[in-house]
Amino acid sequence: MFKKFDDKENVSGVNNAKSSVLRGVRASVLEQFPYIADYMDQILPKKDALKLVKCHEHIEILANSSGEPVFFKQRDGPYFPTLKLLHKFPFILPHMQVDKGAIRFVLSGANIMCPGLTSPGARMTKVDDNQIVAIMAEGKDNALAIGLTKMSTQDILDKNKGIGVDNIHYLNDGLWNMKTVK
Amino acid sequence: MAEATEPLPAAERKFLTYDGPTAGVKYPVRVLYCGECSMPVEYCEFYPNYEKCKKWLESNLPDEFERLMSLKGEGEAGVDAEDGEKKKRQTRGGKGVVKAKKKSEPQGIKLATSKRGKKKMVTIVMGLASYDIDLKDASKFFANKFACGSNIQGEDEIVIQGDIKDDLFDILPEKWKCINEDDIDDIGEVKR
Repeated sequence: MFKKFDDKENVSGVNNAKSSVLRGVRASVLEQFPYIADYMDQILPKKDALKLVKCHEHIEILANSSGEPVFFKQRDGPYFPTLKLLHKFPFILPHMQVDKGAIRFVLSGANIMCPGLTSPGARMTKVDDNQIVAIMAEGKDNALAIGLTKMSTQDILDKNKGIGVDNIHYLNDGLWNMKTVK
Repeated sequence: MAEATEPLPAAERKFLTYDGPTAGVKYPVRVLYCGECSMPVEYCEFYPNYEKCKKWLESNLPDEFERLMSLKGEGEAGVDAEDGEKKKRQTRGGKGVVKAKKKSEPQGIKLATSKRGKKKMVTIVMGLASYDIDLKDASKFFANKFACGSNIQGEDEIVIQGDIKDDLFDILPEKWKCINEDDIDDIGEVKR
């Protein structure tokens, strides 16, 4: 999604959200990621300003008061955490670990293919399709991408062919390189 | 690599679990990021300018550098075998190489004046953006400082009303520490 994203070109406007909007966002984020309840005040403090960055292709990025992007969504889709936030709170998403050989492809934006998830170096969490997952790598501690599963874990194992997880946001893509918004 | 290995038989497979924060870990986790490629330091080896990353690590985070190097030493044999395979044939779907970011080097700052009407002057500051300075902030600062109009014109150009070139030589290095006074260049008067 952010392969060709540039914060100079693709951002059409930034505005501060009303507190009622912030409340709605907090509620829906909590509903999606129940585990962050205890840390919600660190991620999106109740009283702080929330910035809505409107971008092309109906992408909306939420930034906290210091201007750091924390969540994003496309159209009315689910909220995705950004990688920087995921690094701070790795438990937000279920982890999917790919093997070593897949890392460089993922880092250049490729979708995650099933064999990369089923080989001996890889490990998976049992999830359904259309779930947001964190892509981890064999032998690394931090996530390298955020994806959306295209098949359930069982299907990935059974078919073992084609795209297993769509690559939504990865290290060094447009969103990762986005400067803090004002 | 991925296509060569057979999937594990179902009996040996271990699944990860999704069960919230790990007990005993203090959140938020602090992750070290490389200053060269901006990724977490463990991913530097996948960056085309790995050598530069190494240098940056060595000078900025010597402890971390030491740790990564020792880790790499252990896995050396495996890496060699992989390299050999890579040379033999190119895998389908390209090489999957991450493109290196091009970083703009500071070009130096150019100051110019220009006539407006018969007796009024404007000062033009060029090259601030290459120092990673926000032009909007800078323009606002000039307007405040000199009590005059100031606006951004074009890609990397600020036009300040009034002839304040001499003041700028002192103020620019003072406000932004990354600017050296020697980098500021006076290119005299320009027509427009």
